[in-house]
Amino acid sequence: MHRLKTLLSTRLKGCAALLALLAMSGVAHAQEAAETANRWGLGEPASDYGYRFTDLFWFITLLVGISFVLVLILIAIPVIRDRARPGHKASFDHGSSLHDKQVTTVISVITFIVLDAWVLVIAMQDLREAYWAIPEADQEGVYQVEVLAQQWSWNFRTPGIDGEFGTADDILSNSELVVPVGRPVSFQMTSKDVIHALFLPEMRMKKDVNPGDINTSWFQATRAGDFTILCAELCGYAHYQMHGKLTVLEEDTFNEWEREASKLALTAFDPEDTESQWAWDWEQ
Amino acid sequence: MSGDHIHPEPTSFLSKYVFSHDHKVIAKQFMWFGLVWLGIGGIMAMMIRWQLAHPGDPIPAIGMFLFPRTDGVLDPATYNTLFTMHGTIMIFLGLTPLMIGAFGNWCIPLMIGARDMIFPLLNMLSFWTVFLGGCVGLYSLFVPLGANEAGWTSYATLSTTIGAQGHGETLWAVAVFLIGASSIMGGINYMTTIIRLRAPGMTWGKLPLTVWALFLTSVLNVLFIPVIGSAMILLFLDRAVGTSFFTPASLMQGGGGGDPILYQHLFWIFGHPEVYILILPAWGFVCDLLSFFARKPAFGYRTSVGAMVAVTVLSAVVYGHHMFTTGLSPMLGESFMLLTMIISVPAEILFFNWLHTLWKGNLRLEVPMLWAIGVIFVFGLGGLTGIYLATIGTDIFLHDTYFVVGHFHLTMAASALFGTFGALTFWFPKMFGRRMNQTLGKIHFWGTIVPLTFVFCLMFAMGYSGMPRRYFDHTSAEWLADLQHMNVMATHAALLLGAFQLVFVYNFIKSRWWGPAAETNPWEVGTLDWTMPTPVPYYNFKEIPTVHTGPHEFSHPALGDDRDWIPMTEKLPG
Repeated sequence: MHRLKTLLSTRLKGCAALLALLAMSGVAHAQEAAETANRWGLGEPASDYGYRFTDLFWFITLLVGISFVLVLILIAIPVIRDRARPGHKASFDHGSSLHDKQVTTVISVITFIVLDAWVLVIAMQDLREAYWAIPEADQEGVYQVEVLAQQWSWNFRTPGIDGEFGTADDILSNSELVVPVGRPVSFQMTSKDVIHALFLPEMRMKKDVNPGDINTSWFQATRAGDFTILCAELCGYAHYQMHGKLTVLEEDTFNEWEREASKLALTAFDPEDTESQWAWDWEQ
Repeated sequence: MSGDHIHPEPTSFLSKYVFSHDHKVIAKQFMWFGLVWLGIGGIMAMMIRWQLAHPGDPIPAIGMFLFPRTDGVLDPATYNTLFTMHGTIMIFLGLTPLMIGAFGNWCIPLMIGARDMIFPLLNMLSFWTVFLGGCVGLYSLFVPLGANEAGWTSYATLSTTIGAQGHGETLWAVAVFLIGASSIMGGINYMTTIIRLRAPGMTWGKLPLTVWALFLTSVLNVLFIPVIGSAMILLFLDRAVGTSFFTPASLMQGGGGGDPILYQHLFWIFGHPEVYILILPAWGFVCDLLSFFARKPAFGYRTSVGAMVAVTVLSAVVYGHHMFTTGLSPMLGESFMLLTMIISVPAEILFFNWLHTLWKGNLRLEVPMLWAIGVIFVFGLGGLTGIYLATIGTDIFLHDTYFVVGHFHLTMAASALFGTFGALTFWFPKMFGRRMNQTLGKIHFWGTIVPLTFVFCLMFAMGYSGMPRRYFDHTSAEWLADLQHMNVMATHAALLLGAFQLVFVYNFIKSRWWGPAAETNPWEVGTLDWTMPTPVPYYNFKEIPTVHTGPHEFSHPALGDDRDWIPMTEKLPG
């Protein structure tokens, strides 16, 4: 017990000084925090599969946390108890007996089942039921979006009232996307130049946008509001500025907006402007 | 293999210190080379952190000299170059030369009882090739139209002429190719030396685990560096000759057409084993150091070797987990997820053995031991957070956020760095015949582990909050601006971490030339390297020793009370 006390007093002094330095910086930040709204963590998801990320994240955190605390304890006990001192001798143990091998095997199996298999099963379920369950084009109510990324902005195209891509009433927009609440939004995307990644953090959606290839993804918004579009794959000089706005509208407001926008697109359509006619047939 | 073929010791400065064939001199060349680049890469990290916390503010102290045109302020292009070259330098020019170049060269012949590497000339060539690679890499920063700004991964088509006009990108590919060639030369040399030149009695079951780890690292180097080499050749051709291996047909004027995803496959087929190339030597050091300083045999020697072999094999078949958002087919994605998770089994076996080695030992908490225990700590944090990234369901959100940055810095950067510090402080007395200051060593250890853990754990919080990596300025997007307080905190802790490295620089340089003389075997361990006089004579062993006992026979009951260790050349009493 005495040994433990002296140990704590001498060893912790050094650490305390370090922690104090960190704490000082922390206090400075806390004062700053009072003035601006500082965020820790994520807000509520705005897509119907969004909860799956948070749930699985904290489930893994529970498993990982227990494992790490176990490791810490198993470091701490020998470091405190088994320090070199006169007259003390280490036990002689190669850990190569049959018993040791059995214990190793059992722990490996437990690790695999608890840390891996359990998480794996949940993840597979999430993938099949949500992330990779991309709705078919003919499914009722699917809202289709074609994305053409470029350095450094997002071009969005939706089919307009006629529901066909590559027609004069296609709604085109740059860096701003409007979608309806409660309907699956299905993306097909490609890039003009380098690889980008469409990242909708509030929807928990991310997918690379590759040149020369069409990638697909989807989400379904659960509430109306303004959300964020970011680029998650390094795409050059202004990568950090390649963001946009995702507006989710209630069904009625959305239908009205779509009608208006489509009508506007028809009047603004210029057949000479080949640059803006980049649509492709919706691929299955 | 016989002793009748010893050349006389070279006498001229050039043949003795510059173009030396002696593995001990080459080890030190690699060491100084790696340390200098580690410093350069570290300063780059500090500048990156400064920009993230204080976007648009001039970099204090050094900014005015480095970027006089902008009054010390970083622009996005320079920022991209900084994190690109920070990654490239730390991996290829810092840690690889230090762990594999320096300690591979130092440990292998001395620990297996050989007079030198089996191919001394190739060994020299290996160093001068990486040196040339380093020079090309450095030069690539100062060429017209800009340096590499495409990240250390340099994904096509950002790295082809579509995304990067600068000659820096082309030279970067040349540099990586040269550095890779050097690693292949080293790998062939190490493997052959370990297979052919072990002293009599030094069976595979008696090899120190450091040597085992370096052997497996060499296998990975020889198998997978050629893949990045070929990727660099194709990238070079795309850039310099106008081929289109990585450019899709839709982007090519005048026909042709390749696939940018092909580059990602080639890069990660190499890139994932590279992670283990960096971590395996650290694991080897840890396996040995824990046993040496716990005065206890390494627990489960055979299962540790088996686990490292398993990781070596598995590392080849998990690379797809870097590409979960690329658009892999679901079946491939799920296979890679399963295979990646299986790695946690051998990793767990290593942890089990390490913790068991400590258990009921007689722990001498000297500086190398602190670093070894530090590896268990940081690799525990880093390895466990790998589960989030192996799981596609969580990786979709966390991919390319700061969560990934925190994870790989704890695993391959911090663990490899801690392993390197452990090895440096452990072999220092034999390399230079002097002792390092223990108090400064402990200050450096605590000054490193505390802020380092703080910085990278904070990055987990940043990533979970949705902060993407490789952003020049997070305040530019409204949704990220309210996370800026974390950036400020991380930067302050990182600057503290950087400042504590000066303690190491001071201690290392002071001890190297002015430190107190070291005994022959200050740590009281039995491996062959410590049975040698200091300084180690040219051609090491006058007579090749015969090995009788294993490397970890500490506290053997037959040894009696007056000592708890036995040289490998001695027979156990009784």
